[in-house]
Amino acid sequence: MVDHTFVGHSTPRIDGVEKITGAAPFTDDLDFGPDLLHAEVVASPHAHARILGIDTYLAEQVPGVVKVVTGKSFQSTFGLYLEDRHIFAQDRVRFVGEQVAAVIARTRTAAKRAARMVIVSYEVLPAVFDTDAALADGAVELHPDLADYGRVPWFHPRPGTNIAHWRKLRKGDVAAGLRDADLVLEDTYTVPRYAHAAIEPHAVVAELSVAGRLTVWSASQSPYTQRNLFAEALGLSHRDIRVVTPYVGGGFGGKAGVTMEIIGAALAMTVRGHPVKLHWSREQEFVNTYQRQGLRAHLTIGARRDGTITALQHTLHWDAGAYVEYGANVVNAAGISATGPYRIEHVQLDSLCVYTNLPPGGPYRGFGYSEFTFGLESHIDRLAHGLGIDPVEFRRRNAVVGGDELPYGAQMNPSGLLEAIDRAADAIDWGIEQPAPSPTVRVGKGIAAFWKAPAMPPNAGSAAFLKFNEDGSVNITVSGMEIGQGYLTAMAQIAAEVLSVPPDRIRVETPDTDRNAYEWQTVASHVTWGCGNAVLAAANQARDRILDTVHRALGHDVASLYLVDEQVRSTTDPDLALPLREFVVTGLEQPSDGTFKGGPVVASGSFMPEFTSTRSDPETGQGGKPNVHYTVGAAGLVLEVDVETGRIAVRTVALAVDAGTAINPVAIEGQIAGGVLQGLGTVLYEELRFDDGGRLLNPTLTDYKLPTASDIPDRVIPIIVEVDQPDGPFGARGVGEHTMIPIAPLVANAVEDAVGVRITSMPITAERLYLALTAEDG
Amino acid sequence: MTISLDLAYHAPASLDETLEILSEQAGRTVLLAGGTDVVPSLRDDLISPNRIVDLKRVEGLGDLAVIDGALHVGCLVTFSDLIGSPAVHARLPVLAEMAGMVASVGIRNRATLVGNICSAVPSCDAGPLLLALGARVHLVSREGVRTVDVDDWFEGPRRTAIRSGEVVTHVTIPLPASGHGAAYARLSRTRGEDLAQACVAVVLEPGDRPRIAFGAVAPTPVRARRIEALLHAQGLDAGAIDAAVGLVAEEVAPITDVRATRRYRLAMCEVMLRRAVTAAAGRAAGDGPVHGTPLM
Repeated sequence: MVDHTFVGHSTPRIDGVEKITGAAPFTDDLDFGPDLLHAEVVASPHAHARILGIDTYLAEQVPGVVKVVTGKSFQSTFGLYLEDRHIFAQDRVRFVGEQVAAVIARTRTAAKRAARMVIVSYEVLPAVFDTDAALADGAVELHPDLADYGRVPWFHPRPGTNIAHWRKLRKGDVAAGLRDADLVLEDTYTVPRYAHAAIEPHAVVAELSVAGRLTVWSASQSPYTQRNLFAEALGLSHRDIRVVTPYVGGGFGGKAGVTMEIIGAALAMTVRGHPVKLHWSREQEFVNTYQRQGLRAHLTIGARRDGTITALQHTLHWDAGAYVEYGANVVNAAGISATGPYRIEHVQLDSLCVYTNLPPGGPYRGFGYSEFTFGLESHIDRLAHGLGIDPVEFRRRNAVVGGDELPYGAQMNPSGLLEAIDRAADAIDWGIEQPAPSPTVRVGKGIAAFWKAPAMPPNAGSAAFLKFNEDGSVNITVSGMEIGQGYLTAMAQIAAEVLSVPPDRIRVETPDTDRNAYEWQTVASHVTWGCGNAVLAAANQARDRILDTVHRALGHDVASLYLVDEQVRSTTDPDLALPLREFVVTGLEQPSDGTFKGGPVVASGSFMPEFTSTRSDPETGQGGKPNVHYTVGAAGLVLEVDVETGRIAVRTVALAVDAGTAINPVAIEGQIAGGVLQGLGTVLYEELRFDDGGRLLNPTLTDYKLPTASDIPDRVIPIIVEVDQPDGPFGARGVGEHTMIPIAPLVANAVEDAVGVRITSMPITAERLYLALTAEDG
Repeated sequence: MTISLDLAYHAPASLDETLEILSEQAGRTVLLAGGTDVVPSLRDDLISPNRIVDLKRVEGLGDLAVIDGALHVGCLVTFSDLIGSPAVHARLPVLAEMAGMVASVGIRNRATLVGNICSAVPSCDAGPLLLALGARVHLVSREGVRTVDVDDWFEGPRRTAIRSGEVVTHVTIPLPASGHGAAYARLSRTRGEDLAQACVAVVLEPGDRPRIAFGAVAPTPVRARRIEALLHAQGLDAGAIDAAVGLVAEEVAPITDVRATRRYRLAMCEVMLRRAVTAAAGRAAGDGPVHGTPLM
């Protein structure tokens, strides 16, 4: 491995002091003065109903109310991948909490009060709350206009049904593969809906200036994508929209794309000259952003006695909610990768995006992989046990390696899955039994592997602007979001490595689309890779300009020049040591005549994966190269179960992930700790629960149980595997989302090891485990 | 987030002034101590008072002391105060054990023991333990002082024996004899901040009838009098504890809600009772688990 000066060295976060001191600004901190107006939405109390009429008269009489806005004013559709949404409900509502209208007022209190006085008459319609009901013959059709919605070419809706997208993948002959197996195991796994539950709720402030300029400040992972959707939905030119995104208090996918921000942007269009603010309450945050989609996964896998998996059939029914403009791509991502990181000859995947009358589903850390990996890695463990093969060894025998053919035909990138499996297993002393600390406690160990590819359009681009300053320091502007992952620091390290300017002399700012270069979105764990490549290109361009200036002013051969310690040095002239600060803005004086060469060093970089394609056969999924690469890894876990209560205490989690090259190792260790904890939250405590009318029963942090500092494992062991990604900046690839993907099946596998009970529905709460244990007892 | 409401806010400096304010008829009045229940309820529009009377400046309401063989806990004494009190640790460590399980450090720094039994939600942590300890609630109004046995305090979810115009100044907890053993066990979904799904307090005094109370498994915290009587009659050997556990279903009436099912609550009450009685007996004998060790 190449030894770098800044890349690969743990580097303190450049946003650390600001955040630890509480000085970092978030959208809700911004001050807009006394002209600021406040908005509150009128939400549907019904899961499915026709809107018969909206009476705004009483609301308009409330003192302080400026305007009541309904869907009449905004009739266009919008959506990231499938245009199935309106800014406000038009003729019907499709989930409890959907926005029907909004009140703009001078105070938040007046807005809230008036919102309660908007009278909406509904005709209640039959509703569907799970995929079975939505797929049943004669089920009420949620989107009769499905055929007419704009969509990306890789979606395959079934008009006349509630199937918004059906991703099929066929490889080999599954029936033959299953006949060839010595053991075939079939079961169904259930994953409920989850909430991102970021600390910061969504917030937006928008203002249309008198000159026709729309500025939007939002808590978002996707400033440029927001600008694009605002332009399309509101009929504005992109040049007239400016999106500013201050720091974000937790994203996890929940602040990707566009949700409530478009309400703020639209309302601003109606009160020109006044900023309008919309700030979700915690309950609204739960109900009307994105939720992680629910999943019922039916799995059949066959394997031979020697441990070779012969065939896999995976049918995934996604409860995608009332609108799937983003969520359908989660379904798509799973539908081409739900084999997990295994080499399997015969594969059949069916991933169905099903409309239901529950809140819209969407992206959540793992983007479908966290969901399907619960069943898949549970099933893999059960097969290993059924064949009498050690689960670690069973995974090793089938593990994908670089160069393997992927289920859709493309080639697997270089990867270190075998190393990850071995190191995760070693870290938890796999195969060695541990004594139980008390008579009512049983100890169990689990293992699970994972993979994930970024799910992106084939032409998702990133760009960077870079400029040198008089003192030799550097400013970089990019439009990826710092959402806690350490992205700004990684970008500084990449530029630092090229320019020999230390990261603490490089400022990387959060986005303002007027100033910062383009970025598609901060999702898919791709910004270190994609935007990192753009920053690398910008830094290379700046370096070339610097060396060219020295060449032109002093005559040195460019090939002999290099940067070190913020100086230009030469391999042929040991006396040359030109500090960058002396000439990167003001140029170099030519000794001969006192004229200057050079000028302010500015540079830009741009990156797009030019090798991806989503063109494939809709019936087989064969063809194209939809994924840029996969990141792989494995994890091991030790837990204790109190058999009298069902309570689980996680003792140790070891997680190994192949980062390609770790740009900032300490940030990856943070991702591992965070991903493990978030994964434990979903498998042990969290679950969105609805009543039989589709109303969320636990839209509070009192009853949506997130793990706390008291619930963390005794030990989290981060393990970084490094098998270079050839097209990544310094060999890097993304690791952010991946670290939570294996956690749910890891716990399920360890629970079975501890108490011999297999749980196939998440979450594995103490209560669910207790009930399963007592059922086993008869 | 700002809360803007049309209401009057009073912060009297003395008890007399407080009672004077309360005697004026002014509609819906809320007393404020730590505010950990009142403020979220205001924010979520669960209550809409006309006025708030903040007790934090009233002198003398923050006393925490042993007086005449009883612990006097003023209405401004927080759970963190209890945890940090040498007197509590020396004479009534189970009170600190319970306090240490309430919410999180930040909440415990504000929330008061008296506020906990005044908001009187079925899952309140202080309720069962004060029942098991035989505490008394002391109230004052312009009409004079009044004392209510904690057994008569809880009348329903969020309903107590307090009357209009009254302030709970303090509770008194008779200190158990030396050689006593007590335990508080609590079931919750996470180990961190959570409401109790069910809880039990056990107090064993040498020669005396055991006192046991459950929380979160009935509209109010409830004494388990049949279990108390059985253990008093049969002692604390394994057979007696088995028999006591067998009575749990007759003592509590848990419901199914978003936090747990009736079946799980009931089963866990049995486990908690066994573990808490065993721990309390062990502590009485000098070899029980250290206070604060989670029993669940």
